[in-house]
Amino acid sequence: MAASKTVGDVLRAHGVSRRGFMKFCAATASMMALPPSMVSTVAAAIENARRPSVIWLPFQECTGCTEAITRSHTPTLEGLIFDSISLDYHHTLMAASGQRAEDAMMQAMEENYGNYLLLVDGSIPTEEFESHSCTNGHTHLSMLKDAATGAAAIVSVGTCAAYGGIPKANPNPTKARSVQDLITDKPIINVPGCPPVPTVLTGVLAHYLVFGTIPELDPYGRPMAFFGQNIHDRCYRRPFYERGQFAETFDDEGAKKGYCLYKLGCKGPITYNACATVRWNEGTSWPVQSGHGCLGCSEPDFWDKGSFYRPLSAAYWGDARTVGIGAAAGAAAGLAAAALARGKQKKAQQEEKA
Amino acid sequence: MSGLSGIGVKVESGAAAPDEIYANTLPLLHEIRHALARLVESGEPTVIDIQSIPMGPGDMNRLMDALGEGEVRAEFEALGKTVIRESRYGGVWIIEHLNGSGGVAGRFIEITWVPSLLQAQREDVEAGLEALADALAAAGN
Amino acid sequence: MNEGLYWEGMSLLDFARGPALRWAVIIFVIGIVWRLTALLLASRKQLEPAKGSATSGGMKTLLTRSAPAHELEKNIVFQHYSGYAWHIGMFVVLLFFAPHMLFFKDILGFGWPTLPNLFITFFTVVTMGILLVLLARRLMNPVLRQLTTWDDYISWLIAFLPFLTGIMAFTHITFGMRYETVLALHFLSVSALLIWFPFGKLMHAIFIWPSRYKVGAAFARRGVRA
Ligand code: SF4
Repeated sequence: MAASKTVGDVLRAHGVSRRGFMKFCAATASMMALPPSMVSTVAAAIENARRPSVIWLPFQECTGCTEAITRSHTPTLEGLIFDSISLDYHHTLMAASGQRAEDAMMQAMEENYGNYLLLVDGSIPTEEFESHSCTNGHTHLSMLKDAATGAAAIVSVGTCAAYGGIPKANPNPTKARSVQDLITDKPIINVPGCPPVPTVLTGVLAHYLVFGTIPELDPYGRPMAFFGQNIHDRCYRRPFYERGQFAETFDDEGAKKGYCLYKLGCKGPITYNACATVRWNEGTSWPVQSGHGCLGCSEPDFWDKGSFYRPLSAAYWGDARTVGIGAAAGAAAGLAAAALARGKQKKAQQEEKA
Repeated sequence: MSGLSGIGVKVESGAAAPDEIYANTLPLLHEIRHALARLVESGEPTVIDIQSIPMGPGDMNRLMDALGEGEVRAEFEALGKTVIRESRYGGVWIIEHLNGSGGVAGRFIEITWVPSLLQAQREDVEAGLEALADALAAAGN
Repeated sequence: MNEGLYWEGMSLLDFARGPALRWAVIIFVIGIVWRLTALLLASRKQLEPAKGSATSGGMKTLLTRSAPAHELEKNIVFQHYSGYAWHIGMFVVLLFFAPHMLFFKDILGFGWPTLPNLFITFFTVVTMGILLVLLARRLMNPVLRQLTTWDDYISWLIAFLPFLTGIMAFTHITFGMRYETVLALHFLSVSALLIWFPFGKLMHAIFIWPSRYKVGAAFARRGVRA
């Protein structure tokens, strides 16, 4: 079985020289957000790491996550990380189909029971809507529960798997739930994002590959190495924010000069992700660099937090009508109080006269 | 914010990055200076992973311009091209790992006498020794 | 209402930006209007004939009371000017920090230029410093302490908290809390202020003008200098 080979074996089989291997390790350490001084440790660990068996189950999703991660052209270093794992089931990517694909999955699950890594993208419909998302006649809820029992750990790929994402957005028509809502007895690593930054997912896989452990997680189950700091703190436009220089519209002078996008609704200050450092498309750019505020896609329920273009500090204070009604109620109360006071005064005067 | 027609689109090409973004260039140059001093005094090398530092458009170019071109330049092919070159400051090396499709997979600044990747690697030398011996044996010598 | 914010698992920040603030605004408006109408409609029987113009007396007092009275100047000058400094600082921070302006712009429909964060930080620190000094004075001066009621302490705290949470959020000195939590606390502290405002001593911000006028008017009618 492929899973018994070490990663070093796989790379050598690819004809990778030692230089190439060290280059791979340097880029991997960088991907894992490790300091360059860790490269030799990484190299030693990768050399001897066993290829973990990975089963990837796509549920109620748009395949955007898979697209994002496979979009990089081969042979990339990300691609090699993927070659270093033994991806035993991914119904979009695998050559086999139908029953043969199912069999491959069952076989991998049996052979690696207790040891395989389960990757999930998409949320899971529940209760009366359970049957709204099925593969080969099995509901995704049952598939998740089955696959989770034998998994060493679960990686929720994308915001849907991690937090419910768009399917769970109000009014949540399929009673969609996230993986961590449904599975509570396994270590779960959330790699949210809509889609997640590909390098971050490969970084998480690399960490598992190299150290065989779950990375340190934040309160939302996200690896600290990538989600430890918010976008605002790592944003290259931050100096403009500090100086109070803002783009007021998407095409004004400020926008052209690359000013801060806070006024246009940037959610960078409350969003934790690696976009600002890792960037997208092999480090080419990222949303804020392309001139659009951060949408906060790696945060739970980002879809339901009001307009993407509403400044973060603008609250939901109500509207003029409610305030008007409040004022009227206040006036009525004031009138009543005044009338009461006058009545008392009068009464007192009458009593005095009497 | 509704209606695509409401969004004015203007295509501009080759717009120069505004000068105001200095963000990380200057602090990085200072860091490099400290690392160079360390190398001279104690021989201790330093590696900086510049790909994972937040930079604005133009920042990387500005840094590269500041470091300039030195005397040495080397390339090797392994999992895509890698370019190693000395900057105008001796001992400051810029290492760019490209992947198979030409994208940048990693970018480091090494402050050292010789970057370790330039040297032949023990494993490769051993493999080379074996291969040469085999070749000679095959040729009947 | 603005966009609905109804979903499962509302975070503290969502609660603070939404329902908490919404209710605080409603309570604030009801309270203010109630107390103002009650005050303005309250009347006293005028038994004696007028000895001077009530209106001009009232207007004059509005101004004269804005500077310390000569007789008292030595004693209250510190309090007086630190009071001014604190109010000015407070308004600068409240109105000229860009995120604050955006908060009001959202309500009012128009915005205005704002100051760089450096200035805002300066004014915030000064303002908080003055508040702390005033509190220390209040605690240390035996007479002042006798005069102080619970309302004063609560009002002080309610005025101080938005600054504290604000600067914590701004500087990311969060004592282990997440930034969003601190931001939520900032919104909540403002909600607390809005709710307390009409009913505590903070109401002076509104009452100061009509009450000065009323005192001045009453004195003028009796021919007394206010
Ligand atoms: S663009 Fe967004 S993330 Fe960047 S400084 Fe401005 S508010 Fe922060």
